[in-house]
Amino acid sequence: MTFVNWLKRRLVVIAGLLTLAYLLLPNIVVTVFSFNQPKGRFNYEWQEFSTEAWQDPCGVSGLCGSLTLSLRIALWATLGATLLGTMIAFALVRYRFRARGAVNSLIFLPMAMPEVVMAASLLTLFLNMGARLGFWTILIAHIMFCLSFVVVAVKARVMSMDPRLEQAAQDLYAGPFQTFVRVTLPIAAPGIAAGALLAFALSFDDFIITNFNAGSTVTFPMFVWGSAQRGTPVQINVIGTAMFVIAVVLVLVAMAVGNRRDRRKAQKTHRSPL
Amino acid sequence: MTTVAEAPPRAPAPETEPPRKRGRWTPYLLLVPGLLWLLVFFALPVIYQASTSVQTGSLEEGYEVTWHFATYWDALSEYWPQFVRSVLYAASATVLCLLLGYPLAYLIAFRAGRWRNLIMILVIAPFFTSFLIRTLAWKTILADGGPVVGALDTLHVLDVTAWLGWTVGDRVLATPLAVVCGLTYNFLPFMILPLYTSLERIDPRLHEAANDLYARPSTTFRKVTFPLSMPGVVSGTLLTFIPATGDYVNADLLGSTDTRMVGNVIQSQFLRILDYPTAAALSFILMAAILFMVMFYIRRSGTEDLV
Amino acid sequence: MTTTKDTTASGNGGDVRLTGIGKTYGSFTAVHPLDLTVPQGSFFALLGASGCGKTTTLRMIAGLEEPTSGTVHLGDQDVTALPPYKRPVNTVFQSYALFPHLDIFENVAFGLRRRGIRSVKKQVEEMLELVQLGEQARKKPHQLSGGQQQRVAVARALINHPKVLLLDEPLGALDLKLRRQMQLELKRIQTEVGITFVHVTHDQEEAMTMADTVAVMNAGRVEQLGSPTDLYENPRTTFVANFLGTSNFIEAEVDAKSGDEIVLKAGGGKLVLPRARTNAPTPTGGKVLVGVRPEKISLTHADDAGGIPEGRNRITGRIADSSFIGVSTQFVVDSPVCPDFEVYVQNIDRDTRLVPGAEVVLHWNPAHTFGLDAAQSLLAGTVGSAGAGTVEEEVAR
Repeated sequence: MTFVNWLKRRLVVIAGLLTLAYLLLPNIVVTVFSFNQPKGRFNYEWQEFSTEAWQDPCGVSGLCGSLTLSLRIALWATLGATLLGTMIAFALVRYRFRARGAVNSLIFLPMAMPEVVMAASLLTLFLNMGARLGFWTILIAHIMFCLSFVVVAVKARVMSMDPRLEQAAQDLYAGPFQTFVRVTLPIAAPGIAAGALLAFALSFDDFIITNFNAGSTVTFPMFVWGSAQRGTPVQINVIGTAMFVIAVVLVLVAMAVGNRRDRRKAQKTHRSPL
Repeated sequence: MTTVAEAPPRAPAPETEPPRKRGRWTPYLLLVPGLLWLLVFFALPVIYQASTSVQTGSLEEGYEVTWHFATYWDALSEYWPQFVRSVLYAASATVLCLLLGYPLAYLIAFRAGRWRNLIMILVIAPFFTSFLIRTLAWKTILADGGPVVGALDTLHVLDVTAWLGWTVGDRVLATPLAVVCGLTYNFLPFMILPLYTSLERIDPRLHEAANDLYARPSTTFRKVTFPLSMPGVVSGTLLTFIPATGDYVNADLLGSTDTRMVGNVIQSQFLRILDYPTAAALSFILMAAILFMVMFYIRRSGTEDLV
Repeated sequence: MTTTKDTTASGNGGDVRLTGIGKTYGSFTAVHPLDLTVPQGSFFALLGASGCGKTTTLRMIAGLEEPTSGTVHLGDQDVTALPPYKRPVNTVFQSYALFPHLDIFENVAFGLRRRGIRSVKKQVEEMLELVQLGEQARKKPHQLSGGQQQRVAVARALINHPKVLLLDEPLGALDLKLRRQMQLELKRIQTEVGITFVHVTHDQEEAMTMADTVAVMNAGRVEQLGSPTDLYENPRTTFVANFLGTSNFIEAEVDAKSGDEIVLKAGGGKLVLPRARTNAPTPTGGKVLVGVRPEKISLTHADDAGGIPEGRNRITGRIADSSFIGVSTQFVVDSPVCPDFEVYVQNIDRDTRLVPGAEVVLHWNPAHTFGLDAAQSLLAGTVGSAGAGTVEEEVAR
């Protein structure tokens, strides 16, 4: 009876942790299999422990090239989408203009559309225009589908910003440009950063739209896809594991730094006489 | 400041000074580059696609608009099983995501305490490993004769799922179950994050108030927590269902020819068979179907602000 | 300051002159065209309930709102068309609007830096000393208490030596005790720097404590303008009489006029009203509203009625309710001429017979009676009729 009660009270926690395990299981498998030495071309079955792949992560032809390309595309796409998206977000929150509804739906629709539809229709456009598929078509596509997500992230932040702050800046002799640079932008920065981060992640990991519009250019996800058909080198797992570890470590460090700063501030506040 | 543009023009202008037109053109200057991008690379392609879908011809001789609507009929009659399958798989994955994601989102919002940030990181961190690599990992996890399949077989779960048509024989890989499992896995974070956002906004004192007003924990959940988390449920289900319907990665990597979804068809028509009109027609039908379902769903759930 | 020539020398640089200034939003009139002059160096309060147009008026002076009609002059200069960042006027915003990403020092230095002043350290430190925040210079706004934030907002505005300092409900977010303290503090600073202060508030006590001149606003119009004592003693409308403190009203009929006095009939008795204390038309037989403040009235038990000196206005009634609030006891008296007459009695010698149900006589010096036009609502300006509600807040967004 007490056990049933105990279980009942912790049902949510147990179910939640099981879901968490479900989410993390593949990452554990990826990590473990980065130390595998497979017999055939595919790295799906455990054979024996080896650190060979870790010593030579670029050992597979084309792998690191595709990784660099993906990073390059993601950086440019982030830059483009963040710039354009931030401008739209500001216009949406801070100004009144005609056709606001139409603008809102144009921004919402790309998020409410399956990627394959956007990918296919963009390809028809490129084919009709006779564009050569490659770096530029991928970049164009990535900026397109990242844009809306940046708008949403920045908009949320700008909307929660007190308009009186900008009025205060104007009252204190800052012209429109100064107001924007000295007050609006710094305060909106966390939202812009969140949008940029999201855009980077979306672009870097995109497969479906890239698959349609890349031509013979190979990004990292395209490389993985190709190897799923031809044979998966262990190096893929090495890259996947490394990215996971780097991301977690970066976040933990950022959090620790933030915590330390907060605590230091708190102490200071505490010490000074009110 | 936004009201300035709307104020009626100043009555007889007293001095030589013209009335200030602060920022009349600014919004348009801000909007134009981004909107142009979306118009040219999102809206225009949709029109091109619609036009392609009613063209006839061949790759060698070129295509021409002939208003050949029969393509739609042919595409539907040939590929309706894939359409039905897509909706079924996506719907199953969405329901599973909700059932699995809700407890975790609830846990993070109300029960995690000082572990909250760590769990959040663990939910988001898998994103940083390419989803293709993670999906391939499911091939290992669900491998024939592996521990997972073995356990399911011993517990006779596979008999039940086979009877339901979800699995074939003593395999999980290359069956509908594997595809739905992969879809669920891939889109689970998209369910958890909106759920968490809307749960986190709920004032915990509401729970105390409900308890104080004689609601048992289960009643509190049904009458207070769940209704208040509806915005998260709506946007979570949409963020899961829409991409899942169009997905072809999971069906390709974890499924078989019997689990092909409409995304697989569009992809192969476009990139391998090069039958552009049929591919465009299929894609157009998918788009229309999704938009229709989303509109209906939003109307029903009464939430307008999804984003 | 940079773009305007300094006219302080001419002596009226800090005058604020509003001429026919008005503001409409679509069909809603927030401020009816009004004329107002705030003399240099004065502490001026715009007082009114929310939605009365006081904040809109202030924002038009600041340049944050464009007037629909009229002009704003600072001294001799017409600033109507100048954007806020070119006006020699600074504002202390409601809820302060301190820049969250800058520390206190940088918040205070903001205006100086925008005007291209390089060495700001000394000035900022002096200003922080003036508001007693020298220690907190390197903290972020959210680390300060409400009262400290308020002082930063004042310092941030004052450091620019504006010709006029505008304060938009600056004490609204503070608790009662701190508010009292800050009222005195602001008054001290104003005396010290001698700048014109225009202060918007809905708190009549705040306006009366701090301001030299108060303009009471109601529904987009200035209802009455004057010194706090003048407004309190000689309200010209029931709105002002009710909004500033509490007033008792008796509807009366003009019976006779003799010299400086008007004799009125109310119920069965007679009341005397000094002619100088009414601006209402008083034809014999006409109606007049007689007002008297609760603290001017004495309360005597009916048994002792004989001891009341001659020549005082008197009314009989029965105590309906009494509440003891320390300094005084507040009685509500049911009288034939007025259903709930309020009377505040100082607790010097408490008469134990004055309990609910007791028959009493209310009496006061006729000089404390004021007369108002009978053709207006008795309830204007009371809590229940606060009026336009939150229109102003909505409009301000």
